[in-house]
Amino acid sequence: MGLPCGIHNYTYDEDMAIIRTKTHWALLIGLFVLLFTCPLYLSNYWLSVTNLIGITIIAAIGLNILTGYCGQLSIGHAGFIAVGAFTAAVLTSVFKLPFLVALICSGLMAGFVGLIFGIPSLRVKGFYLAIATIAAQFIIMWVINHLKITGGFLGIAVPHASIGGFVFRSEASQFYLIITIAILCTFFAKNLARTQVGRAFVAVRDNDLAAEVMGVNLFYYKLLAFFIGCFLAGIAGSLLAQWTGFVTTEQFSIGESILYIGMIIIGGLGTALGPILGVIFIRLLQQVLTTILLPLVEAAFPALPAGFASGINPILFGGIIVLFLILEPRGIAHRWMLFKAAYRLWPFSY
Amino acid sequence: MKGKRFLTVVGVLFLALTFAALPFISACAPAPTAPTAPTAPKPEDQPLKLGMTICMTGPAAEKGSPMGHGKLDCIKYINAELGGVNGHPIIADWYDNGYDTAKQVTLVKKLMDDGALFFTNNDSKTMQASIEIANSAGFAGIASFSSPICTNPPKHIYAQMPDYGDDWAAFANYYMANIWKGEGKPKMALELLNNTTGYGARDAATCLADSLGIQIVDVEEHTTTTISEMDAMTRIKALKPDVLFISSTPAPTAVVIKNAYDLGMYPGIVIGCAHASYTKALVDIAGAKVTEGVYGVFPTVNWGDNVPGMAKMTEYCQKLHAKDYGNMDYITSWAEALIDAEILRLALENSGYDVLAKGDATAWAAVEKNGIQKLDYDVQGLHGPVKYTPGDNRLDKSVRVFQVVNGVITPVTGWVDAPRIPYEKFPDKFPWAVAK
Repeated sequence: MGLPCGIHNYTYDEDMAIIRTKTHWALLIGLFVLLFTCPLYLSNYWLSVTNLIGITIIAAIGLNILTGYCGQLSIGHAGFIAVGAFTAAVLTSVFKLPFLVALICSGLMAGFVGLIFGIPSLRVKGFYLAIATIAAQFIIMWVINHLKITGGFLGIAVPHASIGGFVFRSEASQFYLIITIAILCTFFAKNLARTQVGRAFVAVRDNDLAAEVMGVNLFYYKLLAFFIGCFLAGIAGSLLAQWTGFVTTEQFSIGESILYIGMIIIGGLGTALGPILGVIFIRLLQQVLTTILLPLVEAAFPALPAGFASGINPILFGGIIVLFLILEPRGIAHRWMLFKAAYRLWPFSY
Repeated sequence: MKGKRFLTVVGVLFLALTFAALPFISACAPAPTAPTAPTAPKPEDQPLKLGMTICMTGPAAEKGSPMGHGKLDCIKYINAELGGVNGHPIIADWYDNGYDTAKQVTLVKKLMDDGALFFTNNDSKTMQASIEIANSAGFAGIASFSSPICTNPPKHIYAQMPDYGDDWAAFANYYMANIWKGEGKPKMALELLNNTTGYGARDAATCLADSLGIQIVDVEEHTTTTISEMDAMTRIKALKPDVLFISSTPAPTAVVIKNAYDLGMYPGIVIGCAHASYTKALVDIAGAKVTEGVYGVFPTVNWGDNVPGMAKMTEYCQKLHAKDYGNMDYITSWAEALIDAEILRLALENSGYDVLAKGDATAWAAVEKNGIQKLDYDVQGLHGPVKYTPGDNRLDKSVRVFQVVNGVITPVTGWVDAPRIPYEKFPDKFPWAVAK
């Protein structure tokens, strides 16, 4: 971490601390104040977008641990989110279990399913593992669709989360629930990357043969990465289920899985900040194109047939992502690091 | 550094010029005028906001796009030629949901924030994602194509037309009354697409087959990409059914009918199709010879039929979206926009503009109680009449039975009743239908 002039690390604890200076603390507190006062000035719509971003961040953090840190490419992430969503739905709706119990069970169930589909990772990697995880997506969907308890193709209604008798019914209350869990997951992921486990993940990613020679148990760490990544996907699925109030398998398509890959690549693979920035970028881009740009273009040309501009949305969405990957292939997190480095020196050029 | 210095200089100059220009800009403002007596606002200045989410893009765009065009063209027609609703223009507050449920959830919230009076939607998938939000807020929604879970138990979501289960019920009723002449119970086999389109028919058969006196001898499933159903059709043939019902999309339905034809089952048995597959595309894919005599149900009229609403719809379609001409989905959503306007008219007359202008829960309740639930409208003949019946949130409750005659889909009945299926009587099979 780059530190301002005159600040030095004298102990290992100081070296490892995430927050080092008063400015860091001020910025962090400012961010939390800004974040937790959002319901005061955001409309229900923007709060719902924020909630969606929060849920997506949790799932993307899981995928980033699996793919970004450990190098295990997974194109079935939406399937693992579905496991969490349907587990929560069944536990809260059918078995009437409390939300917090369902939340943890959703994570565990998705984690265990992830373990099963992670087993081939010892033998196959790269594109071959990607195909195995795609198979996971289809198998999970088939099973859910053919289980009576999940409602099959019709889906299942899910009650809103409640803790100690308080029901998170409003968008604002949902916001506090989702953002709190998202912050906890971010904190967990940030710290995981700095532990022995995190470093073993990176070693496996960079060169699994060298890692094994150094004593890293490949099978254990690969499976652990699958468990943690899918556990977080399950948590995200559980939150998604209670937020939307209804789940069907159609919500968890292969397209969603690919979008999650896109998010962590755009944000910056293998960084703590990357998934957050990638998710915010993609989700905001979707909303801005849909609710602001498209109506503006339609309104600008009232003489043209209604709906003429609808094709602009996917073209721009795809185009912006392609351009972004060309101009900043290392992700938004890298651009943010460059900005911070430049800002630290400004106005001096050296 | 030179670039940074240049940018700084330009930025400072821009700010300085902006501040310097402020007095001049404010001097250009119009001079204050003497206050005039307030006048009553004209209806044309008091619009009615109608929320719409449409899957114009995404995996279901082949249906969503013509449907979006149909309803937006119809709103344009209502505003331009009918003067809106009692003089109040309709604002189509529409967004493309891309057939994405997560986006749909946020868009329904946006429509609520925007002050839309109710919302409409094309498909059952994204409507299912809106159920909880709409029901908990009392924000009514109407789905063109729906599944039974949208309207059972009935709350604030309404279906424009009968669903796939209702198709089976309507066809089964028609078959028993007009085609079946044998002794005892006719034997029926089901060939179903493995999603809600197919399972709707299966669920309806589970509920009603016994009471209609039909024996279901086999239920087979297929995928949207199937290229042969010979195995399934051989199993069905061995059971010697009297009638085969297919609930699927056009391409797989064509495969099933061709396989039945090749196995010598058809002609010889009766084949009936649900509305998702029963379009001109089916005849084109399977061929006129193979599909000759196949029955099907559909909830709207055909293009070119002699009904009051046909001329204006055709004119607008050919003027604005000519490529959609011939597509039944355009008719469906044009008709839906006519129903929306009728709902707004009823709500306006029964509640007054002041209530609707609030665009909040009061207005939503007024629209539902004094608009949707007072509907009794013939939709200019474009589909069956719409009328709210307590306990049944399907607004249109009828379909027509068609038959392929000389390669042309030809109506053989008027509007026949598609009775509500009592899913709630089978709580172990359909727990979602039971009110909590």
